Amino acid sequence: MFEVLEGGIQTTVQDFPGREGLLDQGICPAGPFDNVAHRLANILVNNAPGAAGLEVTAGNFQATFHDDAIIALCGANMQPKLDGEPMAMWASHKVRKGQTLALSSVDGGGFRSYLAVAGAIDVPEYLGSKSTYVPGGIGGFEGRPLKKGDLVKIGPHASEGYLHRQVRHDLIPVYTTEWELEAVPGPQSAPDYWTWEDFDFFFSNTWKLDRNSNRMGYRMQSHQWQWARKSGGVAGGHPSNILDNGYAVGAVNIAGDQPIILGVDGPTLGGFVCAVGVAWGAMWKLGQMAPGRDTIRFKELTIDQAADLARATDLWASAQSLTRG
Amino acid sequence: MSDVIRRNAAVLAETPPQDGRPKAVYRLAGDRFLLAEFGEMELDLTLSFRVLGLNTLLKEHRPAGMIESIPALRSILIHYDSTRLAPADLIALVDRLYASLPPVEGLQISSREITLPLAVDDQWTRADIAKYVQYIRKDAPNIINGNNIEYAAQYNGLEDAEAFVRTFMATPWWNAANGFFPGLPFMFPMDPRYAVVIPKYNPTRPFTPEGAVGIAGPCLAIYPVPSPGGYQLIGRTIPIYDPKQRNPAFAANPILMKPGDRVTFTRCTDDELIALREQVYDGSYVYDIREGTLDVGQYLAGLAAIRPETEAFRARQQAAAERTPLP
Repeated sequence: MFEVLEGGIQTTVQDFPGREGLLDQGICPAGPFDNVAHRLANILVNNAPGAAGLEVTAGNFQATFHDDAIIALCGANMQPKLDGEPMAMWASHKVRKGQTLALSSVDGGGFRSYLAVAGAIDVPEYLGSKSTYVPGGIGGFEGRPLKKGDLVKIGPHASEGYLHRQVRHDLIPVYTTEWELEAVPGPQSAPDYWTWEDFDFFFSNTWKLDRNSNRMGYRMQSHQWQWARKSGGVAGGHPSNILDNGYAVGAVNIAGDQPIILGVDGPTLGGFVCAVGVAWGAMWKLGQMAPGRDTIRFKELTIDQAADLARATDLWASAQSLTRG
Repeated sequence: MSDVIRRNAAVLAETPPQDGRPKAVYRLAGDRFLLAEFGEMELDLTLSFRVLGLNTLLKEHRPAGMIESIPALRSILIHYDSTRLAPADLIALVDRLYASLPPVEGLQISSREITLPLAVDDQWTRADIAKYVQYIRKDAPNIINGNNIEYAAQYNGLEDAEAFVRTFMATPWWNAANGFFPGLPFMFPMDPRYAVVIPKYNPTRPFTPEGAVGIAGPCLAIYPVPSPGGYQLIGRTIPIYDPKQRNPAFAANPILMKPGDRVTFTRCTDDELIALREQVYDGSYVYDIREGTLDVGQYLAGLAAIRPETEAFRARQQAAAERTPLP
């Protein structure tokens, strides 16, 4: 068990791939926004890659352990300290009962860090997952972010199995603030919804992440699109309007003039066009983009290239990336 | 790149109309989703009936690598693992199942009738609209006198807000799909003589109160949680989603509505709504839900009988829409 001293901006329990299979009821998957750092942290402490861990947003989380534990922190550099001593990220560590882990603000690029604990975070499953979906008030720790005073349980684990592990140095990501984000078109693209000029503009422009962005959606700056249709017809007057259809996780939704990337807590269905979808193997990048700071340029992939990227990302987020230190 | 060699960035395959079946179009939706879309973009509930039939077949014949399917009014979004299931193989399966569906007139669809109380132009959505004017857009043409209803009346060629409210409350609403947020119903008017249409917000609202009832395009939605939204706000009703499962209606599932439900509204005041919402949470409120079946053939015959009135409503609506500014 550990006791939360500071919850930070938003620290939630997440597992991967989250609450999958309920999109038809309007339930988003939730889960870690950066699923690579989440999986690597779990593997470092010998958990299943998708086990429940903590997602810490923008830092300033602190907790005291009431039992011995094995932990690992991956993701944005939150300058972690264990009882005041700097603790290496991307590596496993033993923590003794009574020790305090303190994360401070993010140093450099990146926005979220993932804390894995051997045995995983022990919270009840809700609709098949331990992930927290904050807007719906479900899952994780009482359906909400952690706050001061919370006592969080840790699942059982074999402490004799501890090995010091770390992620291979050349495989630790260096987070930028100017991202290239792989994406695949569709379903409402050129030339039937967008013009080809709109399409080219999207893939050549530098997009800035709005401050008003979160796990539900990443808003970018508005643009006067040309649009291939004069109106949305029966779906509404604006050409970005369509008869409501399912939204893919990671879809780039054009709501009126504004493009919004739908996140892991995003809407599952709606009536605005989705012109592009972030490649599944690049979804982790969204979790490390800082609203109000970072920029994005999109790179078009074919579906075959995107499938290769998904395979490469899964390989990266596996035990093959670890060495014993 | 020259336009000459560019075809369509997203469309992978298209099957023309055949034997009374509307066309099918299969679109990429990123690399993990495929959108199967049927017929034209029009308000045609027979597309919803076909989609619900096809979705049942698809679940029975789920191929390895398919994760889930999300039906909507005229489409099914299929979530699949493209490293295990090639899009061409998935399309071939869906197209074969679509061709095997029986004629729509023969469908009997399990369909409940639900009545919900509605506070029209209520204090909560008015407060939300005021916040939108203050923080997001001051000159939104869809906001008149602090509400969206007067704009909705103008856009549909109805004399005033009250006429708009009477119109949309005169039809049962068909729930074609749940989505956006947990258990949010996407409902369409079953009686086309009252099929109002309204454009969406631009830009969208970052906030909407739980229980808000909104209309956009031809679709009516109830917001299950406080959330962003793009629908014009009409009123507020009782909860349709309760993760804490405080009412017997939520005992089995925190989500009230199912695809195929038919919903009608009865009007209440703000004060009455406050009392009803308390009864929902203390468990004493009994939701008005009746089991039933929709006979699609009978429903379609009824539509034919009211065609002149339907066309008159549409003509007046289209003329009004052309002279009304867009958000």
